[in-house]
Amino acid sequence: MNTRRLLASAAIALGVALSAELSVAQTLTMGVRGGPESLDPHYSALGSHAEAAKHIYDTLVWSGDDLQIEPGLATSWTALDDTTWEFKLREGVKFHDGSDFDAEDVKFSIERIPVVSGPTTTTIYVRRVAAVEIVDPHTIHIKTDGPAATLPYDFVRLFIVSSDAAKDYSTPETAAAGFNGGPAAVGTGPYKLVSWEPKGDLVLERFDGYWRGKGPWEKVIRKEMPNDSSRLAALKAGQVDVINYVSSVDYLALQRDSSVDAIVGDSVYIMNLQLDQRADTPLVRAKDGSKLDKNPLRDAKVREAIDLAIDRRSMVDIVLEGLGKPANQMMPPGFFGSSDKIATPEYNPERARKLLADAGYPEGFEIDLYCTSDRLPGDAAICQGLGQMFTQVGIKTNVNAISKTVYFPAQARLEYSVFMNGWGTLTGEASYTLGSLAHSNDPEVKMGAYNRIEYKNETVDKLLEEGAKTLDPEPRRKLYEQAMVETMADRVYISVVQLQTVWASKANSVIFQPRFDEDTLAFFIKPKS
Amino acid sequence: MLGFIIQRLLQASLVMAVMSVIVFVGVYAIGNPIEIVIPPDATQEIRAETIKRFGLDLPLWQQYFIFLSNLVQGDFGRSFIYNTPVLELIAGRLPATLELVLISILTATLLGVSLGVYAGYRPHSWLARTIMALSVLGFSVPSFWVGLILILTFAVNLGWLPAGGRGEVIAFLGVDWSFLTPDGLAHILLPALNLAFFKLAMMIRLARAGTREIMLTDTIKFARAAGISEGRILRRHVLKLIAIPIITVFGLELGSTLAFAVVTETIFSWPGVGKLIIDSITVLDRPVMVAYLILTALLFVLINLTVDLVYALIDPRMRARGA
Repeated sequence: MNTRRLLASAAIALGVALSAELSVAQTLTMGVRGGPESLDPHYSALGSHAEAAKHIYDTLVWSGDDLQIEPGLATSWTALDDTTWEFKLREGVKFHDGSDFDAEDVKFSIERIPVVSGPTTTTIYVRRVAAVEIVDPHTIHIKTDGPAATLPYDFVRLFIVSSDAAKDYSTPETAAAGFNGGPAAVGTGPYKLVSWEPKGDLVLERFDGYWRGKGPWEKVIRKEMPNDSSRLAALKAGQVDVINYVSSVDYLALQRDSSVDAIVGDSVYIMNLQLDQRADTPLVRAKDGSKLDKNPLRDAKVREAIDLAIDRRSMVDIVLEGLGKPANQMMPPGFFGSSDKIATPEYNPERARKLLADAGYPEGFEIDLYCTSDRLPGDAAICQGLGQMFTQVGIKTNVNAISKTVYFPAQARLEYSVFMNGWGTLTGEASYTLGSLAHSNDPEVKMGAYNRIEYKNETVDKLLEEGAKTLDPEPRRKLYEQAMVETMADRVYISVVQLQTVWASKANSVIFQPRFDEDTLAFFIKPKS
Repeated sequence: MLGFIIQRLLQASLVMAVMSVIVFVGVYAIGNPIEIVIPPDATQEIRAETIKRFGLDLPLWQQYFIFLSNLVQGDFGRSFIYNTPVLELIAGRLPATLELVLISILTATLLGVSLGVYAGYRPHSWLARTIMALSVLGFSVPSFWVGLILILTFAVNLGWLPAGGRGEVIAFLGVDWSFLTPDGLAHILLPALNLAFFKLAMMIRLARAGTREIMLTDTIKFARAAGISEGRILRRHVLKLIAIPIITVFGLELGSTLAFAVVTETIFSWPGVGKLIIDSITVLDRPVMVAYLILTALLFVLINLTVDLVYALIDPRMRARGA
């Protein structure tokens, strides 16, 4: 950990030194798909909200390009006992208004969250926090409601606001006015707020006293352009310098266009097929429309057949135009808790047909497959691909790729039998994913809230409960790797593909490292010259 | 006349009440908006607490009653996506839509009526034929495609005009407007053109049909026999006689474009109300949807009322009946 941290800070220092040399009076205009819902960083946990907030505010713990945790405003953290974490805070950090950052601001920010949080609730970041104790201006103790191994991961989106500036703007009624208008929007981040309009432009100006060093751009304009084609057109017309989320169709065209550079990055999002495990499931039936005597999805042979029917290679090459990778588990490789012991899934339609026959379905059966069509790139296309592949092995599939507006409420009412949506492990570690999806739905242990298939595996449950209490990272990692292996072996969650994301910039103008969480952060985009 | 106006306003309140119930029930039927926006790692406890905090655990009639009692006090509620009062949110974005729509509708009407009257006056000339051919194009080509082609041609390939956004704005009467700055005008040109295209085609067709019909009537024969000049006939008689259908369509189009300029606003990243409503629908932001649709209903009622009053002004027969 220590050498890693040292390397990280050395890398940052080097980056700063380089950028300081290159920086000239320049403006970076970014065209992005989504924006913040408010400039109060504690209002929403939405990805695009946090992305915008990272320009103005800092987090206690920083999540690196590969989503593994690094020091941020906190320089180190240690678990003192089962229910106490100690965070050492960085010294000499200034807010945009010149005041000093200290423990008071951290306590204020944490306590403010439950009051001002919106429906995309940020209370998830502080759910384990029972009390905050200030030891000295640069040391803080967080008391938790039990052993909370993931606390540092919870804090990667815990933005720190100034306790002085935001004091009068911390009720649901006053927060929006104070932050959106400006007086409370004071952070320690690389850029200062100039102006913002909901769904419009966020205009920022460099903060020269930033603790990581001066940013490469004097002025940053973040324009919200939700339409994919318009965003690309704005780039080609020279109105913006960088855009995110280039569609796969446009990506093909861009490869022949020398005026634009395309930058491809792995995404944290993985498409998972989910198979309902209830004894009676609504949307599975015999091919003649009659009711089956039991739910075939509870049969391990049927689930294996479904897995074998998926041709992941064609899915990536043909459906996604190459922008993806076959997936064998619910997290990308290298994440805390991903296992390298899980075999690459195989495509074998003959064996799939045989397994279906062995399971007592020689004629197959019929399912309704539900997916989102407007949430992630390619979701509807993957869904249609799956439908064809299943039909080929004898499972007649009716594909329903629908708006997320309809999909998620219906999924929560447990109306679907076979369904697919993307899942992004945004904290970079397994308890986020397995704790929500693979543990049985049990409010007692606060796990399984997103388990919409009534999946229950005693071994997995035990491993996850054990993992949540284990503060030592190495044994903890082993527990989660084991839980991942067990879960994937059951094939109730079948991971299909890991998505990739494409950014585009004017040819030879900028350089940056794509991030797993798909954030587009002006501070880390460097001019190429 | 006053009775007529009062009757219209009463009808309007009824329409608005029905509208609010439909939206409420509709959104309720789709499901709980919290399910769409809540972070996936929220625990059962946080989920329940959030649903309760936004009053979404109450029965539908109770939620509706709370909404109504706030409304009576002039409070449309707060958007739970933006946490700002709904009226403020809509008012902040209305000027952008207003200037875009007014410019495009006025251009379409002035240009469309002139071209249409010409096409009806000289139906066999090559120019009239060209105008009519173009109007067919305006009808049949989808507006999002036209928008993209405009961007591709004028912004990407020629580089003359910006591809989207509102450009520089300047405050006038306390509101920011684009059309008062050269940069803002450059930004407004393409979306206004895009929006005007379809209306232009419609205005041409309406004006042409009206003109052709009226040119054959006795009124025109007598006017010509009386030695009135052709220009004067067109201005004083034809224009006035074809005005009624054109004003009706103008009013309806103005209303629908103000409320639903969604496609153009999306393609040109124009921060207007059309985008707001679409974004609100995708996250089931009920307070915004309800308020917006209620205001839209009000807008249509007011426009129709104005149109009726204008009829009375230009057509004496209506005046006689209305009195």
